[in-house]
Amino acid sequence: MAEKDKACDKDLPEAALVPSEQLKFINRFTVTRADACISCGMCASLCPYGVHKRIEGHARILPPDDRRCIGPSCEVNYFFCVANCPTNSLSVGTSETFISMGDPRWTSEMILATWAQSETGRPLPLDHPGNIGASGGGFDRLHFRLPEPKAKFDPDEICTAIDLNRRGSGPMIRIPIPIYGGGMSFGSVSLYTMLARAKAAKKWKTFTCTGEGGYPEALVPYKDNVITQVATGLFGVREETIQRTKIVEFKYAQGAKPGLGGHLLHDKNTPEVARMREAVPYTSLFSPFPFHSVYSVEDHKKHLDWASAINPTALMSVKVSTPNDVEMVSVGSYYAGAHIVHLDGGYGGTGAAPEIAKKNIAMPIEYAIPKVHKFLLNEGIRDQVTLLASGGLRTAMDVAKTIALGADGAVTGTADLVALGCVRCGNCESGRGCPRGIATTDPILDKLIDADWGAERISNLYNSWRLQWCDLLSRFGMTDIAELRGRTDLLRHADKPAKGGGK
Amino acid sequence: MFERYHIPLKTVQSRAAPVPKFVIVRADNCMNCGKCEKACIYGVHKRSEQDPRKMADPINQLCKNCFRCIQDCPQRSLVMMPGPEFRSLGRGTWTPLRITTIWGEAETGKIPVFGAGYRGMFTGPGYDGMWTDMSEIVRPTRDGIHGREFISTSVDIGRKPAYLDFGKDGSVETKFPPIIELPIPVVMDVTRLRTSSEGMLTGFAQAAGHLDTLLIAPPGLLPSGASAELNSHYVPAYPEGTDVDSIELQDGVRMVELQLGPSWKDDLKQFRYRFPGTVLSFRLNAAKDSESTVLDLVKSKVEVVHVLYDEESVELDSLDGRHAKESLRAIHKAMVSKAVRDQITLIAGGGIAAAEHVPKSIICGADVVALEKALVIALECRDCFTCSKGSCPINLHNAPADWVGGRVTNIVGAWRDQLLEVLGAMGLREVRRLRGELGRAIFYEDVEREAFSDVLGGSGDG
Repeated sequence: MAEKDKACDKDLPEAALVPSEQLKFINRFTVTRADACISCGMCASLCPYGVHKRIEGHARILPPDDRRCIGPSCEVNYFFCVANCPTNSLSVGTSETFISMGDPRWTSEMILATWAQSETGRPLPLDHPGNIGASGGGFDRLHFRLPEPKAKFDPDEICTAIDLNRRGSGPMIRIPIPIYGGGMSFGSVSLYTMLARAKAAKKWKTFTCTGEGGYPEALVPYKDNVITQVATGLFGVREETIQRTKIVEFKYAQGAKPGLGGHLLHDKNTPEVARMREAVPYTSLFSPFPFHSVYSVEDHKKHLDWASAINPTALMSVKVSTPNDVEMVSVGSYYAGAHIVHLDGGYGGTGAAPEIAKKNIAMPIEYAIPKVHKFLLNEGIRDQVTLLASGGLRTAMDVAKTIALGADGAVTGTADLVALGCVRCGNCESGRGCPRGIATTDPILDKLIDADWGAERISNLYNSWRLQWCDLLSRFGMTDIAELRGRTDLLRHADKPAKGGGK
Repeated sequence: MFERYHIPLKTVQSRAAPVPKFVIVRADNCMNCGKCEKACIYGVHKRSEQDPRKMADPINQLCKNCFRCIQDCPQRSLVMMPGPEFRSLGRGTWTPLRITTIWGEAETGKIPVFGAGYRGMFTGPGYDGMWTDMSEIVRPTRDGIHGREFISTSVDIGRKPAYLDFGKDGSVETKFPPIIELPIPVVMDVTRLRTSSEGMLTGFAQAAGHLDTLLIAPPGLLPSGASAELNSHYVPAYPEGTDVDSIELQDGVRMVELQLGPSWKDDLKQFRYRFPGTVLSFRLNAAKDSESTVLDLVKSKVEVVHVLYDEESVELDSLDGRHAKESLRAIHKAMVSKAVRDQITLIAGGGIAAAEHVPKSIICGADVVALEKALVIALECRDCFTCSKGSCPINLHNAPADWVGGRVTNIVGAWRDQLLEVLGAMGLREVRRLRGELGRAIFYEDVEREAFSDVLGGSGDG
């Protein structure tokens, strides 16, 4: 393979511990102490995790700190507090708060694991429950047929880089990890969130995307790592924003609301956002669908040519959703001159989308990738196209499965936000936006996120993901992530992964 | 002058106490520091009005599950839990989320819009296992949200002649069968509701008139004022074995429904003789052999068949019945293969629990969808069955007719808007074209096979 001859970037960022005290509020288990407790302090002297604490001089023992509790499985230990309590006043159960968090696609395990990854940068074991959701289909039913782990792998020996331009002409862009950040507009997320993503992208020599809400000035220092999106609303699309970028992304459709334009509901359209979008503050902004300058493949080509004329050194990326004829759309985009075909499947994130569009219109990405991959192979143009997939990729394993199904790489979005502390409460569309300061442009709430802190967290997440991919590749005896592409034979389709190795 | 169909929607406040999705419990060790009040941007936590030294109970219906208060509580005395009442709402297809979504739609008439992407299961039984198509490039008048006024949702109820006969002098000799044009592919059917009150029925009748659609009800059920006011929007539905000779129709009735029984051929003949200008629809309990029954009806030139499914959209008259998704497709395909699809109108009713079920039923082959239980859920029904014992936790029988009418108008308006979204995304300009558009739908079984057949266990052997 030609790609193997190319140098693989070894100069990758190191992980640094980025703790976040406030993200430690979730307790998996509840420890309750009944009134019968005599504050003898037995539990405090037994528990090695520090759930119970008795302060000398206090008449009563402190309420249990159940965040530290390891749960009922502790009963095998000699120090199990419930069994040792002389008054039988302790009990351990599952936590209601823990159950309240997450949903089938982003389970609470997955959210907590992603937080831990962003804090430490350490990889998740490949069989960790946080790698997989509970939605009962698609990625959540696909498992790698993992061989037993071999000897320790050396991440430096494994290349996870992908080429974004495979057409053989024009600028070559290689990113050291097979992902870049998907478009999130200014307005849908705060400037600090955008900055955090851009800083992380710069660190990792990969990209993030402006989304359709214009190109804020604060992102200009990161212009080599920021993709300019041209979406149907054309908000803030100007000659200079197209000229300063290395990749221009045309957003034809978005997986979370296929066949509909972008939505920014009135509350989030603050004066700052409205200025960027040249719109009236506090009006709801609905982008049209589709591009009203594109009614055919020929128009589409004209569109790309137009951007190429403004910036001849930029790569062209075409973001499309996943209709039945997605393979024809991809071929059309290739012949129109696109370097990157970016498929966005239905179950991805969004700042605001009609509920009916999210589940019911266009197919999930898991079906679109093999469809397009096989079609491009048969057309004989698979190796000239960089096929990226997005829409509901949550973990490193989702990205790996995407590649095994036939994509070259992936585009992620929501995972970045979870790294910043998103709890997936799903109120990004309403009122002042996000109570955690991520998906908001409220001048008070957006101060909750510090861009440098956020960049470190996202960078840690990428680091952790890269180590997971290295782990996976080394188990399969591969040294380059390109070897994984289209290896559906390494996958297994079932409700649960096979026990004990799996082959 | 051309008048664009438009459903005016205005907020109709709820009558019942809200059912919070999440419940926050404050433990005794709360020291009333008020940090939760500062943390919450939704106003769940407030100080008590009687005693400002204390925190009031959390206002759970405002909670959006962001965990900010739990995070900031220095005493760790707050616990969030999924609302027990919310979790116990509904059953089967009628999930708690669907029921509360209907409540929201009926209150505001707006399309539900949320952030953070799709959060549910990957796929599911019945209509949850299908996706509609979209089109990347569509023409200007088919633009989803900006061109929606150009999308027609009109449908016809009745038989369309396949060709015209002309006399020697060139005049049209074809006798046109009676036909009803509706501006929306949705009718209301109250024949199978568990309970109804005068106020509810009057409200439904108001909504039907307002929406310019049909209300199907057993004769005599509607209060006389309501049925007179409904006039041409009223469709009496007679039970099986009704003597056609005994039927008396009030003026203006355009359509009549008869439950299909063994004597249907005689009923048909008699009905044609007595009411030649009225559309006759046979109500048919869906069953395994519905395809052949419908073909028989077509052969006898019946204009409309109303296929009935149960609350879960499953066939009524068969053990282990098929879901409407399969059943409707089978009926539609049987008619298409005999080239008679346009000679009969297919109304599908039962189990329509969400906006997406309307386009999905139509894609599977229905021309018109009948709303039944959704009408009552729109009135904040808890779907709790206690009405069969004569009580109702929300006193639905006291609901004023105007309120009922407003709620039902809102739900149909919101669903029509969502139908427009689907049509816009598919690049279709009229809902008539959506009917039986199976090639533009994505079925779970098909895509699963296509995508994963080369994955171990992917073709179903895992």
